[in-house]
Amino acid sequence: MLVAWRYRKREHSFIQSFDPRAWIMFYGCFLMSTLAFWDVRYLLPFFGIALFVLLTSGVKWHEMRRAFLFIIGFVFIFAFLTFLTGRGGTELYVQEHLIRRFEASFSIFGWTPALDITVERVFFAVSQFVRVSSIAVMTILIPYSLDPALYGITFRGLGLPDKIAYAMDLTMRFIPTFSRDFQLTMDAQRARGYELEKIKGGLFEQVRKLGPLMVPVTIHAIIGSEDIIDAMDLRAFGIGPRTWLQNLIYKFKDRVLIGVGLAILLFSLALSVLGQGQFWVPPQLLALAGG
Amino acid sequence: MDKRLSSVLIWLVAIFAIFAVIVFVLGNLLGIERFQTDSATLGLRFGFVILGLLIAFAVYFFNKDNKAWEVGTREVVWMAIGAALYAVFSWYFNATVFVVPSLSQVALRPAIAIPMFFGYAFGPIVGFFTGAVGNMFGDAITGFGLSPQWSIGNGLVGFIAGLPALFADRKKATDTVLWVGGVLALIATVVYFLNSGQTNMMFYDVNNGVFGDQPIALAAGISILIGLVLVLIVRFAFGKNVNVGEAVIWGMLGNILGIGFAAISDIWINGYSPAAAIVGEFLPAAGPNLIFAAILVPLLVGAYAAVQKQSGR
Repeated sequence: MLVAWRYRKREHSFIQSFDPRAWIMFYGCFLMSTLAFWDVRYLLPFFGIALFVLLTSGVKWHEMRRAFLFIIGFVFIFAFLTFLTGRGGTELYVQEHLIRRFEASFSIFGWTPALDITVERVFFAVSQFVRVSSIAVMTILIPYSLDPALYGITFRGLGLPDKIAYAMDLTMRFIPTFSRDFQLTMDAQRARGYELEKIKGGLFEQVRKLGPLMVPVTIHAIIGSEDIIDAMDLRAFGIGPRTWLQNLIYKFKDRVLIGVGLAILLFSLALSVLGQGQFWVPPQLLALAGG
Repeated sequence: MDKRLSSVLIWLVAIFAIFAVIVFVLGNLLGIERFQTDSATLGLRFGFVILGLLIAFAVYFFNKDNKAWEVGTREVVWMAIGAALYAVFSWYFNATVFVVPSLSQVALRPAIAIPMFFGYAFGPIVGFFTGAVGNMFGDAITGFGLSPQWSIGNGLVGFIAGLPALFADRKKATDTVLWVGGVLALIATVVYFLNSGQTNMMFYDVNNGVFGDQPIALAAGISILIGLVLVLIVRFAFGKNVNVGEAVIWGMLGNILGIGFAAISDIWINGYSPAAAIVGEFLPAAGPNLIFAAILVPLLVGAYAAVQKQSGR
């Protein structure tokens, strides 16, 4: 049985008022543009766009609460780890200005854990949070607002060949189904005394113990695929060029959206090529830290 | 010249042109340092690109009538199943079992067994789609956007795992691949010993105040060697069951070349030093991958063989 994403038709939804192809193209441009910057001043407009799309999407909080809390939590942990370690930032800045240093009172094998709080680390964590959460917000909204009946024609309309478009369609439909299967298998194995949280033993033993989760889910999916293959064969899949149940037609506003997306992308790439939008720290803070 | 051959040739020329544009227009004309190349290494770099394209063309030309390239109904469905499973497993194992980020957010991923298994069982095209699209969706549902070079790298893992179908003498090809993979793993380990001061960004131990800022540990540095030993054990322990050894050995080559492609492209894309890319990124990703592959792929191949026997397909 297929499980669907939580799509439903929402009146007055900004994102759903567009052709899905136009939205996917805009999303692609948004994504690449965001990745061109590390400067929080340049990233804030993207964050603003993401928030606008979120607030006008018509998706209710209770519908996306779980996904949202998970992803924002994940983004937050990442930004926090970056803050603690300065990891990732070292490619973007050379000099660090120390605000405060915390040092542990013990040492392990001659190495004393220490935490340096520097202006650069703080701002890198902030920039990373803004950057990743802008992308995350835009990404979460796609399954909630893209009609599953239109997956195939959307990918076809974006220029993919019939078979690949259909494979993408099936992939998007299978993800929630396999996710459910994974949960069910995990529960079933737990009922038999298998504790995923308490996998013990050496590395090899731990890896081997993932087998009871991965093997049943994978093999069940492959066996289940026979029904789908039969159904597709019965309908003569792949014999001639494919026709789709629904047609998509670009309206004026869709073309405007694509144009805006492309303009943002070109502008961002131009700025990036000119060396704008690199990692930035407010000079006042540097002065405060004695730099 | 038939239509398919000419379209493949056009694609290869287009890829070469894109590379030339990156070097000459972005690098030299606009002066972006990351894309610049000095004249001493220019010939070498273009030489490598041409060599890569020629190899791709030769693989296509000598195998274009092989059944492994056919995409029918079964392949379309298997592609979708593989990609969806890879995305779901990546998501669950990234989020619930291990949360161990690395340079460029590489995580310890038992899910890597999926593209290897799908590539091996259902052919290179299914393997490539499983790895590339599965990685893309996996990244998207984790909320991290997309990194094309890692998607292609993961696609290559599945693609290469599916190549044994192209060889008439599979045993000989597999033995050669075992040698090639083994030598590459040894070279990577030597690079580690020459650069053992690099930090291992994958190691987090919050309770002890370790936040990925310690030099790469010996175990992580030689993990690819441990993986190689496991592959050899699988190869000789399952001497009678040829499929298991074959799947793991081709999976190993896919893992080394695919993850290697992604890590090495980060030298240009993210501006890492070659040592950081190989020691800080390639080894902590490809080493554990190989360990997971050597243990989990045989389980999947064994279970699938049982299903095939039952269903007769």
